[in-house]
Amino acid sequence: MRGTTRALLRLFGVQAGWSFERMNGIGVGFAAEPLIEAEVPAGQRAAARARSAEFFNTHPWLAGLAVGAEVRAEADGVAGPQVERLRTALSSPLGALGDQVFWAGLIPALVALGVMGALRFGWPAVAGAVAAAVACRVAVTVWALRQGLASGLLVGRVVQGSWLPRAGRPLGFVAALLVGLAIPRIAAAALPATHAGAAPLVAGVALAGAALGLRLGARANAVRLGLGTLTLLLLWQAVS
Amino acid sequence: MTVATLLLLLAVGTAAGLDLVSGPQVLLARPFVAGTLSGLVLGDPLTGIVVGATLELYALEVLPVGATRYPDHGPGTVGAVWLGSTLSGAGALGVAVFAALVTAGIGTRSLLLLRRANGAAITRAEGALAAGTPGVLARLQVGGALRDLARSLAMTVVGLGVAALCRRFLPTQGPEAWRLSAVAIGAGAAGALVGAIRTAGRGPRLAVLTGGVAAGCVWTWLRATGGL
Repeated sequence: MRGTTRALLRLFGVQAGWSFERMNGIGVGFAAEPLIEAEVPAGQRAAARARSAEFFNTHPWLAGLAVGAEVRAEADGVAGPQVERLRTALSSPLGALGDQVFWAGLIPALVALGVMGALRFGWPAVAGAVAAAVACRVAVTVWALRQGLASGLLVGRVVQGSWLPRAGRPLGFVAALLVGLAIPRIAAAALPATHAGAAPLVAGVALAGAALGLRLGARANAVRLGLGTLTLLLLWQAVS
Repeated sequence: MTVATLLLLLAVGTAAGLDLVSGPQVLLARPFVAGTLSGLVLGDPLTGIVVGATLELYALEVLPVGATRYPDHGPGTVGAVWLGSTLSGAGALGVAVFAALVTAGIGTRSLLLLRRANGAAITRAEGALAAGTPGVLARLQVGGALRDLARSLAMTVVGLGVAALCRRFLPTQGPEAWRLSAVAIGAGAAGALVGAIRTAGRGPRLAVLTGGVAAGCVWTWLRATGGL
C-alpha cells in the first residue's frame, strides 16, 4: 500500500506530540496521514484526517494496529461515527496489552539481561540489549501496521487470535525472574568493597525502603527515598 | 573535559531524553545504556556501567504508563557518570547517584511542562485540526519533537551542572563516606523491589520474583566467597 513506509517511520516517533488533551491522538493522526492521502478518496480526506487526530491513548509499540485499522475503514467507506467507535474500542485494550507485554514484560527482561551482561562482559552486552530492543520494536511495529491495514474493523478479533494476548504471561514470568536475579547482582557489583558494614546497610535500607514504598505508594518512591536519606547523611557528615 | 567530549555527552543525554518521550523507546533512555555510553565517551566504561546499573535500580521502579508522572533518569545519568569518573573515595558512587536523582526530579517537572506546551500548541490549532487541514499534524508533531529535543538537551546541561556543584561541595572521602554509596544502592534496590512486586501482583509471578531474588542472593554470595 502506498504511504506505508512513511507511516511506519512516523510510528517510531508516535509520542512526540503527546499531550494531556489528546494523548497519542496527534501522533496517530500524523502516522495515518500518508496512508489517508494515498487510500482515502479526496473528498473524504479532510474528515478522515480530523478523526485520526482525535483523543487516543494506546501503547506506542502497538499504535500501528489502530492506524492501520482506521485507514482501512476510512478507505472502505465506513461511516465516520463507526470509525470513531472503532477508535474508542481499540484505545484502552491496546494500551493495557502493550503495557503488560512490553512495559511489564519484554523491557524489564531486556534491561535485567543487559545490566547483568554488562557487569560480566562490559559494553557489548549493552549493545546487544539495545539491538534486541530495536529488532523487537521494528518487528512489532511492522506487524501491527500490517495487521491493522489488513483487518480494518475486524482488528479486535485479529488481535485476540494473535500471539499478543498470550505473550504477556510468559514474558511477565521471565521478567520477574530476571529482575529478581539482577537486583542483588547489581547491588553487589556497586557495593563499596572497603567496609564490612556496607552489605548489611544496603540490605537494611533495601528492605526498609521496600516496606515503606509498598505501604505508602508513590509518596515514598525510590527517588524520594534516595534523595531524602542521602541528604540526611550528607548533613550528618557536614555536622559531625 | 574537551569540547568534543562535552558535545558527545550532550548527545548521549539528549538521545536518552528523546527516547523516553518522542523516540522509539528502545532502551536508550535507560540509565544502564546512557551510563555505559557516557563511560565510553569519557574513556571509563566500568564507571559508566556501575553508575548506570545502580541508577537502573531506581528506574526499574517505574512503569512509564500513559499520563503517570515518572522521572527522566537518562540525562541525569550522564552527569552522574562524569562525576563518578572524576571522583575518588568510597562515597563517590553515593554522590554521583545523589546528583542523578536531583536531576531526575527536575526531569519529572520538565516532562509535565513539555506535555502542557504540546497541549497549548494543540489548543491553538484546534480549528485547523477540526477542519482536517493538511500539514497541521506535521507541524504539531515536529513541534513536539523539537520541544522534547530542547528539553532533553537542557536536562543534560542541568545534569552536568548539578554534577559539577556536587563535585565542588560534597564530600566523597572520609571514614563514613562509604555509607553514602551503601545507602544509594539500598534505596535503589528498594525501588526495584517495589516496582517488581507491584508488577508481579499476588499470583505465581510473585513467587517467581521471590525465587529470582533468592537465586540472585545465593549467586552473589557464591561469587563473593569464590564458590563461582
